[in-house]
Amino acid sequence: MSCIVANSLSKSYGSIMAVDGIDLSVNSGRIFGFLGPNGAGKTTTIKLLTTLIAPTSGTINILGIDAIRQPLDVRKKIGVVLQQPSYEPTLGVEKSLEKYGMMWNVERKTRKDRVEELLSAFDLQEIRNMKNDDLSIGQRRRVQVAREFMHDMDLLFLDEPTVGLDPSARRGLLDFVKKKVKEGLTIFFTTHILNEAEYLCDEVAIINKGKIIAVDTPDELKNKFGREKTIKIRIPETKKDVSGLLVGIKDYEIDLNSGTNITIRSNDSEEVLLKILQILNVNNIPIEDLSVMPTTLEEIFLTVVNNSNASGN
Amino acid sequence: MHPVIRLVNRNLTISLNKGFLIWQVIFPLIYIFVAGFAYSGMIGFNIMNSTLISGIIIWNDRRHGMFEQILVGPFTRVHYILSNVYTIGIVGLISAALITAVGYPLFFKSVEFNFYTIPLVVFASVSGSILFGSIASIISTRLQSSEGFNVVINTVFLFFAFVSTAFYPAEGTPEPLSTAFYLNPLTYLVDVVRAGIFGNFSTFVGIEMIVLIALALILFTIATKLLSKLEL
Repeated sequence: MSCIVANSLSKSYGSIMAVDGIDLSVNSGRIFGFLGPNGAGKTTTIKLLTTLIAPTSGTINILGIDAIRQPLDVRKKIGVVLQQPSYEPTLGVEKSLEKYGMMWNVERKTRKDRVEELLSAFDLQEIRNMKNDDLSIGQRRRVQVAREFMHDMDLLFLDEPTVGLDPSARRGLLDFVKKKVKEGLTIFFTTHILNEAEYLCDEVAIINKGKIIAVDTPDELKNKFGREKTIKIRIPETKKDVSGLLVGIKDYEIDLNSGTNITIRSNDSEEVLLKILQILNVNNIPIEDLSVMPTTLEEIFLTVVNNSNASGN
Repeated sequence: MHPVIRLVNRNLTISLNKGFLIWQVIFPLIYIFVAGFAYSGMIGFNIMNSTLISGIIIWNDRRHGMFEQILVGPFTRVHYILSNVYTIGIVGLISAALITAVGYPLFFKSVEFNFYTIPLVVFASVSGSILFGSIASIISTRLQSSEGFNVVINTVFLFFAFVSTAFYPAEGTPEPLSTAFYLNPLTYLVDVVRAGIFGNFSTFVGIEMIVLIALALILFTIATKLLSKLEL
């Protein structure tokens, strides 16, 4: 079942089209990654889907509710962690979690239990009595994300939730999110850190200049756009000068500093590899190391966005 | 619990701290006991001062991202605006009650509290809170920087405080100051409070009450419109 359906969704500010006729369909119980370069329209799309701003045209249906006609009904069922920080400067961490639960009409006993659970899950025990104003950016971000789990929801929008977090806190947050998805939550997730999206997302959409230019699972995107592979070969220091031997072979480069690392980047990388291996074999040059780099979502992202920019779409 | 009540609860929690309450009592007491006058003036002044909370809440919410966060939660802009009105009304009443209670022993001989006069003080507290709270809200929606907000709000409220009958009576004050007193809503507020405390209600006070509530409603409408149009 789709919990987000948007059709021909547009938002313009004067002559600028921030979101340009996008169609979206997000299935329940999944993590949907929404990726794009700066200014591509990610945050505007989140603001539209969370009813914070009204679209110029198009339709939005969230959890079966018309989000344009019944925005409050939608907001009662969703959680939102916006990109910008939000906090009560005068409240302590524990108090701000508790008050946020109260604002969402969560029962006192449940609030108390959830505060303890979240303080522990987000490693906030030591700073539970510190005022939000005195926290570091990363600590404040953790509180902001933790706070959103004080209330029940069916769908959670996370707009770059890991900004400012150290790697350990980031992994902790992503694992907590995964756990919640297993319990039935649906997540709409934007990030600039593409290995996060690769780690977390069941499906991703890439937006550029307000238009969605690719939607699929990370694996399918790699199949579609990731034919080029990277293969690295290291040869011994004593056999540095091999470039003369590889004349006539395309799609490879030798690291100028070491002179011992050969990198192949090609759509026909296996064929190029075979040719190089034959030459090395004939010339008695041993191989110290050979590695094949898997295509990352980051490479796919760059390919798709660059293609889109080149085609002017 | 109704969304507005939940927001009022939140507003009171983030605004009412010990420092604020102590200042709200000690500062007027200095005037009451040291200067020995201006009991009703200080109640009016305190109501006005406490409504700064409204502007501060809105400004802080915008600055710290809570305005948007609240509006992606189970609340509407109308809930947000109403919660601010109720908050300043409650703070205004608490403030007036504190000064009334503290100043009562000093002025009890001349105080005429009764069934008819107490509603006048409550009316002044609520309408004054809405009026000055709306002014603070309007300023907070128009200004982006904290420096600008502080300078403008302090200048406006300082003008209201000293060009009014809060600290000295209008009688004997030279022109054009005495006329300026009656261009100032704090004067009307203080006059109504004075009528409530000392039991000297007159037709003129009745007119002042109408002016006070009319101004409060006009300014509240403007504040609500500005807040509704605030870009996100």
